[in-house]
Amino acid sequence: MIEIDKLCKNFGDLEVLKGIDLTIRPGEVMSILGGSGSGKSTLLRCINGLEEITSGKIIVDGLDVSRKSELREVRKKCSMVFQQFDLYPHLTVSENITLAPISVLDLEKSEAEKKAEELLESVGLTDRSHYYPAQLSGGQKQRVGICRALAMSPDYLLLDEVTSSLDPEMTAEVLDILKKLAGQGITMISVTHEIEFAREISDRIVFLDDGKILNDLPTSEFFDENGGLSDPRIAKFLSKMSGR
Amino acid sequence: MLDLSSMSEHMPAFIDGFIITAEVSIISILGSFLIGLVFALMRVSDNHIFRTISYWYVDLFRNIPFIVLIFFAYYGLPEVGVYIDAFWTGCLTLSVAVGAYAAETIRAGILNVDKGIIEAAKSFGFSKLKIYRKIILPIALTTSVRPLGSVFINLILTTSILSAITLGELTGASKIIASTTFRPFEVYVFLVFFYGILTFALSGVIAIWHRHLNKYNEAN
Repeated sequence: MIEIDKLCKNFGDLEVLKGIDLTIRPGEVMSILGGSGSGKSTLLRCINGLEEITSGKIIVDGLDVSRKSELREVRKKCSMVFQQFDLYPHLTVSENITLAPISVLDLEKSEAEKKAEELLESVGLTDRSHYYPAQLSGGQKQRVGICRALAMSPDYLLLDEVTSSLDPEMTAEVLDILKKLAGQGITMISVTHEIEFAREISDRIVFLDDGKILNDLPTSEFFDENGGLSDPRIAKFLSKMSGR
Repeated sequence: MLDLSSMSEHMPAFIDGFIITAEVSIISILGSFLIGLVFALMRVSDNHIFRTISYWYVDLFRNIPFIVLIFFAYYGLPEVGVYIDAFWTGCLTLSVAVGAYAAETIRAGILNVDKGIIEAAKSFGFSKLKIYRKIILPIALTTSVRPLGSVFINLILTTSILSAITLGELTGASKIIASTTFRPFEVYVFLVFFYGILTFALSGVIAIWHRHLNKYNEAN
């Protein structure tokens, strides 16, 4: 379980998160929506300790993210997939996936490689294991990014706008994989602009506006005229996003 | 008239000088690379003291003429009881002086590594040491290796100054041969040739290293 308590995050004088309270239960698939600059990516990055918290607390399965000694354990539990893929360019696809399991989880190389093969097979990239990232398309890179995260057998998968750098065709291939994953019981927290995708896979939608949670509802209620849509800011956001 | 045959009897002296130059070069290249690596890492570390030390080291040794440095080390230090022979004075001063340039070159490579990639590594819980060893340095060196090659070729050329502290390296040996044969033209033709062997060999090594490090870019 991830418990976020009165989380604030400032960048200099700029307050990006202004007191977030949120509890994410195991197995939940949650999407965080909100306009640009609403703080949704920052919130996700705080969970993994990539941003230092200004005040408040994030506890992941009893571990305090702000404590250096506990952060490493948190990071073993929470794997992240990035907008710009951020694969290690000097390593092959297979090495990208096995590096953290071998170096962080102390897995045997053969075991890590076997797992990488299975993961690559599940995303249809078996024949690309010896390629370098530069030889892959964007969609393929992101599929490798997902494999790299899943190779850690994380309890929580953090997805930071994972399709924002992809064209529609590649977006579809990545979203298909995530849809399959969402049905497998892994806890997923996804920051996204893909409204339809969020609607399809999420149990719950959190809508951020100006660093605060404006709405936190089960998906069906969020998209209901009497639920989330009754808030003009959300209605405006959704109509803008779907009108793209 | 160019008469290279007149040099044949002096070949052993040339070769002795060549071997000393090659030895000093190899030791100093390794030394300056290691020193450069350490100071580059100190310069980008979070530790304020390390950063300051590294900053002053680089600034100091880039601003002292090399000949002053070797005179200080060879003729100055014995005054305070530190005796090092000409060979090791050469290796040490070259390593320290060129290390400053190597540090800057490696640092530039480190700063060039995409922040997103470093963050991705952090997010998986790698220790700092492992992030540097497995991710940052291999990527940084791919961009640093060429400029490092220039720094090291310069190092080889700078070894010629060591003749000023009585080391019988190539230039020193050539000066003696020239003054005994009165054939400076032939002597210095050979000298150019011998330096050429070293610098071309180094360029070759750098090219192979570059290709090895950049295989992922060239794989396209």
